[in-house]
Amino acid sequence: MTENLARPAGLAATHAGLDRRAALKLFAGGAALALASCSRPPEEIVPYVEIPEGLTPGIPLKFATALPLAGYARGVLVKSVEGRPTKIEGNPRHPASLGSTDVFAEASVLSLYDPDRSQAVRNRAQPVAWETFAGVLRTQMEQESARHGSGLRLLTGRITSPTLRRQLDDLLRAFPEARWHRYEPVNDDAAFGGALQAFGRPVVVLPRLSDTKVMLALDADPLGPGPQQIRMGRDFVGARRAQASPQDFLRFYVAEPAWTLTGANADQRLALPPQLIRNLALAVAKELGANVEAGNLPAEAQRFAELAVGDLKSRPGRAAVMAGRAQPAEVHALCHWINAQLKAPVDLIDPVDVAEPGHADSLRTLNEDVVAKRVQTLIILDANPVYDAPGDLDVRGALRSVPFSVHFGHYNNETAAMCAWHLPLAHPLESWSDLRSLDGTASIVQPLIRPLYDTRTLHQLLAYMGGAASASSYDLVRETWKARVPGGDFETWWRGVLTDGVIPNTAQQPAQVPAPKLPTLAPAQPPTGFTLTLAPDASMFDGTFSNNAWLQECPRPVTRQVWGNAAHLSANDARRLGLVDGDVVRLGRGDVQIDAPVMIRPGQADGIIRTTLGYGRWQTGAIGNQVGFDAHRLQSIGSPWVLEGVSMAATGRREEILTTQHQYQLEGEAHELFPILSIAKLESEVPRRHESVGGPATLYPAYPYNTYAWSMVIDTGACIGCNACVVACQAENNVPVVGPQEIGMGRDMHWLRIDTYFTSESSPPGFQPVPCMHCEQAPCEPVCPVMASIHDAEGLNLQVYNRCVGTRFCESNCPYKVRRFNFFGYASGQEFANLGADVVKLQFNPDVTVRARGVMEKCTYCVQRISGARRTAERENRKIHNGEVTTACQDACPTRAISFGDRNDPASGVNTLRQERRHYELLGELGTRPRTTYLARLRNLNPALTEEKA
Amino acid sequence: MTAAELDRSDALRWTLPSGRSYEAVNRLVSAPLIERAAWSWRAWWIAFAVSLTFTVIFLIAVAWLFVSGIGIWGVDSTIVWGYAIANYVWWIGIGNAGTLISAMLLLMRQHWRASINRFAEAMTIFAASIAGLFPIMHLGRPLYFYWLTPYPNTMTAWPQWRSALIWDFWAILSYLLFSIIFWYVGLIPDLATLRDRARSRGGQRFYGALALGWRGSARDWHVYHVYQLTMASLAVPLVVSLHSVVGLDFAASLMPGWQETIFPPYFVVGAMYSGFALVVVLAALVRGGFGLQALITPAHFDVMAKILLAASIIMGLSYATEWFSAWYGGGRVDRDLVAYLFTGAYAPLYYAQLFCNVVLPQTFWFPIVRRSIPAVFLIAIAINIGMWLERILIIWMTLSHGFLPSMWRLFQSTIWDWLTMFGSLGLFATMYLIFVRLVPAVSMHEVKKDVIDQEVSA
Amino acid sequence: MSRMLLAEFATGEALLGAARQSKQRDLRVIDAFTPVPVDGLAELIGATPTRIRLVMFIGGITVAALFYLLEWYSAVVNYPVNSGGRPLHSWLPFILPPFATGIFGAALVGLISLFLTAGLPRLHDPLFAVEGFERVTQDRFVLVFERPEAAQHDEAARAWLTAIGAARVCEMKT
Repeated sequence: MTENLARPAGLAATHAGLDRRAALKLFAGGAALALASCSRPPEEIVPYVEIPEGLTPGIPLKFATALPLAGYARGVLVKSVEGRPTKIEGNPRHPASLGSTDVFAEASVLSLYDPDRSQAVRNRAQPVAWETFAGVLRTQMEQESARHGSGLRLLTGRITSPTLRRQLDDLLRAFPEARWHRYEPVNDDAAFGGALQAFGRPVVVLPRLSDTKVMLALDADPLGPGPQQIRMGRDFVGARRAQASPQDFLRFYVAEPAWTLTGANADQRLALPPQLIRNLALAVAKELGANVEAGNLPAEAQRFAELAVGDLKSRPGRAAVMAGRAQPAEVHALCHWINAQLKAPVDLIDPVDVAEPGHADSLRTLNEDVVAKRVQTLIILDANPVYDAPGDLDVRGALRSVPFSVHFGHYNNETAAMCAWHLPLAHPLESWSDLRSLDGTASIVQPLIRPLYDTRTLHQLLAYMGGAASASSYDLVRETWKARVPGGDFETWWRGVLTDGVIPNTAQQPAQVPAPKLPTLAPAQPPTGFTLTLAPDASMFDGTFSNNAWLQECPRPVTRQVWGNAAHLSANDARRLGLVDGDVVRLGRGDVQIDAPVMIRPGQADGIIRTTLGYGRWQTGAIGNQVGFDAHRLQSIGSPWVLEGVSMAATGRREEILTTQHQYQLEGEAHELFPILSIAKLESEVPRRHESVGGPATLYPAYPYNTYAWSMVIDTGACIGCNACVVACQAENNVPVVGPQEIGMGRDMHWLRIDTYFTSESSPPGFQPVPCMHCEQAPCEPVCPVMASIHDAEGLNLQVYNRCVGTRFCESNCPYKVRRFNFFGYASGQEFANLGADVVKLQFNPDVTVRARGVMEKCTYCVQRISGARRTAERENRKIHNGEVTTACQDACPTRAISFGDRNDPASGVNTLRQERRHYELLGELGTRPRTTYLARLRNLNPALTEEKA
Repeated sequence: MTAAELDRSDALRWTLPSGRSYEAVNRLVSAPLIERAAWSWRAWWIAFAVSLTFTVIFLIAVAWLFVSGIGIWGVDSTIVWGYAIANYVWWIGIGNAGTLISAMLLLMRQHWRASINRFAEAMTIFAASIAGLFPIMHLGRPLYFYWLTPYPNTMTAWPQWRSALIWDFWAILSYLLFSIIFWYVGLIPDLATLRDRARSRGGQRFYGALALGWRGSARDWHVYHVYQLTMASLAVPLVVSLHSVVGLDFAASLMPGWQETIFPPYFVVGAMYSGFALVVVLAALVRGGFGLQALITPAHFDVMAKILLAASIIMGLSYATEWFSAWYGGGRVDRDLVAYLFTGAYAPLYYAQLFCNVVLPQTFWFPIVRRSIPAVFLIAIAINIGMWLERILIIWMTLSHGFLPSMWRLFQSTIWDWLTMFGSLGLFATMYLIFVRLVPAVSMHEVKKDVIDQEVSA
Repeated sequence: MSRMLLAEFATGEALLGAARQSKQRDLRVIDAFTPVPVDGLAELIGATPTRIRLVMFIGGITVAALFYLLEWYSAVVNYPVNSGGRPLHSWLPFILPPFATGIFGAALVGLISLFLTAGLPRLHDPLFAVEGFERVTQDRFVLVFERPEAAQHDEAARAWLTAIGAARVCEMKT
């Protein structure tokens, strides 16, 4: 249809494209350009909610689409204001979203407007026109077709898009001797290997947590960052309802070398080196009658194993074990066997991703081909091996030796620098495509906005390589699905799937597998020296999001570190080596050496060095460059996650570790700040504060709240600490980023923070999200000399920005310290790095004031949403319905830990929650009468163990 | 009696023989101002150059502050107050002593005060003016400071009268203007004296204009005297309320270590304490600088040291009361805070504060120390340092160690914090030097009436 | 056309004595000029007791009352706002600003009435022309009589004044 007019067909750029690029050179990412591009794409994209045709100015629309994480889809609804995507929300109909989001989904809207995004085709770093490249590529492909593509190699990340797979297949058919290689840094190689050993075929394990009563996670991190985090989190909490009897309350055992979100949410956690976790698995299998030799375990681990096995056995059909990506294939196979014995509630499905060869092998073969000069043409599609390939593979050197190399990606990054050509890739919110989630559910990816820059999609490039003179990704995607739709009217079907954001009946069916074979697995010897264990970062993941300022400044779970990573050491090791937080050590493996600041983590296994991937980028952009250190270089292609015999030596240098929380340990009476109840004793144990809800007696008159009385209840028992709410709040409320220097000065702007408290050295921490309490007797209000901090008739504690003179008396008198001050013009002229660029402003929520320098700000309960709902209600001359207003944090929360509503409405959920026994007010004894209140965290300890403790 | 005996007894009298006549007083005080030939100002010019440099530094610091924002100071999300508030409280404290001396001692018939009250009052005015600057500089949007005043505006908004900052605003304003009136009225007869002694036409015109045509008529003196006494009796409640209000800035909050009923009185005493200490310092300087040994004698230092001693004991008691009530009240946070005072990151500073404010002044029990002007001078300086530490620690301790451990942080001072603080000292010195250059530093008519008459009759 | 007799003394006591005795010698004291206030002198020369205290009291109370009224009107009537659940009419904190401003008001009113009664500011006064009058602000005490009409009385007065220790006696026309 009209795509040819709207944008260059295929690859060759029209003059419009040239103009745009010329304009670009004049003012990089300037407003003129950005606004010019600020319109809906030409094709018909279909609103999620049924609204009258055409866009009513000021009324935002929501469109359903999908965003990839490690190649897997998470369905989202994107809020679009006058053609600008401003906010990402979850799609309730999508199985990997369930209406919630994760930090990556929330932050991807900022990446769309990232000024550092690649905006032009480059040949050896020189900007050139698309048609120049098109010409060169055509001749190159002609040469390849002459030799049946024997010199042609494609390198991609994980590909789940059916259209892309179809195009790849066609291409490989046209070039029979060409090869397609895949490398996804965070991959499931071990899991597939295990499945192969156990069943003879690769399968994906989907645990049904909601049906599970006892779960043993062996170095697995289902609640951690990844495409399944939302789903797992929701099921995990669903299986832990306070109302349920202790019998039906999921008990979670976790054995892991270092803190993960899963360990932090466990009932029973054991810190154990990865090698010994293998022995633990063997011990469990042995208990279940496997004829295996269980290696030796520390007494503590032995005890842990007995308790776990006891529990697992006692709940046949309701108990399961799972192994993590860091464990070898054998352990995964062993877990399959154990689950079979337990009749575990896990679904086995055929993988969406290609299983064989594994990502590591695929990359290794490519490397060999290149070294052997078998590769003339290398096309790298949205992958960044130069940065994220394991350090013992010399990708950089290899790339140099390839005659014709092309990098097609979002950023002019490390790999682009090593390739002859770099092509700018369109952002998922700008392009037509399709994606599948881990369970196979497919979604159409529809663009929310015309490409800001002169970019193309993977589909367009592949089509062109296949010889198509002109093709639009829109047509390509529709082609794919025309072929698959079971007859009927395609257009109606198309509209349907665009509206819903999911394509029905695309989820994988359970795989028919034989009984799992018991793998041959020798017990491991206790490791000597230091073992380095790696994990994807909770904010950077594998480095894909390094240039996203929201994520850089999003405090990592448990450590609350920002703007960098660190080498985590156990308290014992640190003491032994005389290291303290911030000491820089030199980590060495083979000839690779990197310097890393030390961070001491009580509760981490001894002999373990833990760090996360995704840092130390040297060519991504103004935000992500030179932040932290690059742990990929220590990785080995053979064993990417666990590296034994790593050397560590103090350098004598120091480096400040930036965190937004400095005191994690609760001591003495301070425990009352964060009550943790045992589910078994829930009836007897009650938070100290329960009686004092409503605060102590007061002499002040009771203010009547006879319209609405907004109130929030946060269930700390349900909070898994994933940070989705923090980033959601930032996106919704135009909360600025302050940057590392300001963080170092002890300043930050987050309206919502997740306080993390350890109640003892070893036992898992708890998470306490702290927004504004909207106290009815707010200490911040009477101290404001200019009435900038006042109370409204619905009980909201308001901050009047344009009245604020910045005395900061309110914050100094706030016992919760939830107010944030613009010490500089963080959003008004003194932005960090390139965040002042006009294109970034396109993300701003038009309903929320951008605060000036010298002004205090804080959580408003998303007052813009409340007044929006009020306007609608008043137009329809009714009251606001129960649940009509939701806050951004509430929407984002994967576990629905945050409830918000009108206390005057007997039907509203907050009222029932406020009746719960676990309900308490934070610092309620101060008489502040907070409107935000909490439910105590729950722990389901093994009774046997609790007795031992007693 | 022999000459030696006379000297010894003189050591404890309010004047020396050389200054014990009306004309002597006139000469001693007015010579520097109107007898150009007889007096060298070299030392003054040097001091003026130095203090002017600091004033310029102050102006630069303030300019940079207004250009780039409050972020150039060390304040952070938890410790949102810092040097500005501490300096404000410190300066306003100093600004109390002048009125104390001229008013409270006047009502108590402490005639010796006549020799020191003039330059003490000047100190009050300058310190209070500087103190008034800090709350404005400390604002995030200083250009809107006038929103604290009630005036018809398009926002139709009013000040929020429950805020301690509003109380501050009016208390400081009233106090400053009041002090200026009090001080100027006290000056009028002396200006008349200068008018009549001035040789140069310029001097006569200048002082003549300022003297407003004062003749010293018995009728005028009568009203004048009554007015001064009434002002004195008004000044006492005003000065007490002023610093109580400053104390309420903290006490009217609910933060641990701030919300204490003892704060207002304890702040008032603290204010008198630091103010008196600075008066001692200035007394020593004026005495040496203008050769007023005859009018400001060791006796004055002796008696002021006694007052400092008494104040230091009250301060010690106040600190102890804080610790006790925290322990006795038994609140988790209050107890933690007291533990933090002695063991936290700021503990060394806290010990220094206790030493300067409570321990060191105990040496004033010994007359030998009280009557040694260098000793009293140095201890007074130490007291001022200690009192500044107290101000900054009141802010740091509480805000660094509040209710929620997750938000515990440490203050990180920046160069601008320091420049602003020392710059303000320079500004004070500059204004003070200009004052002594133009106006009699000692109240001649009061010395004549209250001291000379007594001494002569004695 | 009245004439005045100026007698200059070295001390306050001398001047006071002269003023007392002049009563018997029916010399009318008009005024006295001294470098420092001399206790009891004002009564002697028949100065009326001052009302300045009362004026200051009324002034102070008025200012305070007006200020409190402003607070009450703005916080309760004109722009009532719920501030931390405190009562609109929080009389306790409302007292503090009126207290301070009231005292300042008293001081200001007092200053004005002082200037009015003492006739300040005064640009010129015939007395300034009298030779030696400048020492009045330094160390001399001057008593001013109405000069007797009869020449012999005048002579007697001058003689008497010199006798009781007047350093100088001179006359002045106005």
